[in-house]
Amino acid sequence: MMNNRYLRVFLKIFSAIISIGAFLLIWHIATNGTKLGELMPGPIELISSLIKSTYTNIGKYTIIGHILFSLSRVLIAFTVGGVIGILLGTAMGWYKTAEAIFRPFYEMIRPIPPIAWISLAILWFGLGEIMKYFVIFLAAFSIITYNAFAGAQAVDPVLIGAAKMLGAKDSRIFRSIVFPSAVPYIFAGLHTAISASWATVVAAEMVRASEGAGWLIIQGMEMNNMIQILIGIIAIGIVGLLLSIIMRGVEAKLCAWSKSGK
Amino acid sequence: MNKDVVIKCDSVSKIFYSSDKGFDVVKNIDLTVFKNEFLVLFGPGQCGKTTLLNIIAGLDMPTSGKVYVNNKEVIGPGPERGVVYQSISLFPWLTTMGNVEFGIKAAGVGKKERRKRAQYYIDLVGLQGFENTYPIKLSGGMKQRVGIARAYCIEPVVMLMDEPFGALDAQTRYLMQKELEIIWGREKRTVVFVTNNIEEALFLADRIVVLNNCPTSIRQEYVIDMPRPREYTGEKFLYLRKEITGNMDKTL
Repeated sequence: MMNNRYLRVFLKIFSAIISIGAFLLIWHIATNGTKLGELMPGPIELISSLIKSTYTNIGKYTIIGHILFSLSRVLIAFTVGGVIGILLGTAMGWYKTAEAIFRPFYEMIRPIPPIAWISLAILWFGLGEIMKYFVIFLAAFSIITYNAFAGAQAVDPVLIGAAKMLGAKDSRIFRSIVFPSAVPYIFAGLHTAISASWATVVAAEMVRASEGAGWLIIQGMEMNNMIQILIGIIAIGIVGLLLSIIMRGVEAKLCAWSKSGK
Repeated sequence: MNKDVVIKCDSVSKIFYSSDKGFDVVKNIDLTVFKNEFLVLFGPGQCGKTTLLNIIAGLDMPTSGKVYVNNKEVIGPGPERGVVYQSISLFPWLTTMGNVEFGIKAAGVGKKERRKRAQYYIDLVGLQGFENTYPIKLSGGMKQRVGIARAYCIEPVVMLMDEPFGALDAQTRYLMQKELEIIWGREKRTVVFVTNNIEEALFLADRIVVLNNCPTSIRQEYVIDMPRPREYTGEKFLYLRKEITGNMDKTL
């Protein structure tokens, strides 16, 4: 049985190597000997440039520096948007007064894509960091609020009754019943929101920045440097994947009690 | 038996209104439950037994009539009445310990005292070793033990049990009936227990109140004075089983 399991894992890794290898090989042949080479760098050239970019600057920073710039923009705005979204969403889901006051505004803002705010944000906040934070904040906030709201509304009324019978008052019910039962919903929102924030930072940096993953791409286009564009795209993909893996790890810890934590 | 009255239902009725039509669910229930008595509300169907229990719990309000627990009118939920639910209804994000100590934590009992008291009831229901387990990892019978310990731990005046073993398989159900009798024997409480299972009723009850279906009203009362623990196949057990089953409301 043990052997069987090792064999399966080995086959999985082996087939992954084969399929990626075949892709790289076709790419290599296609770009080295056909006209496609003028539009697209080959895989060897790209990978060696990617490695080289980790220790030589593109613009002012190495690729790692650019990623860290983008990442810090995302994390700051995402955290603020997350905290406000979770509080507002669960409050709207549980307290009728909060829903009556905030929901109409929220519903007006929610369908607007965050990128649509960029022009206004530039006029309000200038071209600096605040403009980027604002747009990313909107992206994260509107998704997280909605999920937290849905989670708080979906709380099992029998559990509320049980808590009341055990003597819990309103604020304790909110903290220890409504909030935890919304946590799996909130995590679904955080997953979507981190991707949306990551997409939004790239857009914001494309409009105006002098560093970051979005800047790499836009700068690459202006300089007609395809390798730089592709390095930017790959970096965005890798970081997005890492963020979602980290998020899943946190979720597994916090939701150990539910099916989604398994 | 000590004849102190603990629960008194005074012509309790409940009507549910849907659009323009009223629907009688509970009708004119006069009921007295004595201290440390194990009272079983026994009746068919899904009609009003749970509603009656919810009214005693204070989770639901009667349309007319009043309920008193220890001479105090019931006007809402409160920790002097512990409830054990059919749907078990543990807080899934809390461990066994977290569930059992929830009520006394809300009451502001300090951590050390809280742990000690919760542990006592966890031991009472036989769950030592599972203090830090989440409900998702427990079997149906174990979950309901947590439910019983949770209700016991706030040390309520009355325990209200709404078909607590209804969702369990037959074997576990017999086991839990025996378990509950032992627990109740060691920690006497006034219990109102709802069931539609005659064996369960006869095994546990000091007194069985047979209810009519739709609307729920009292049909007849039986005082069960067989010695405990009872045998499911004892002569008197089988006689009463036949008698009560024969006197049940057959309309559905």
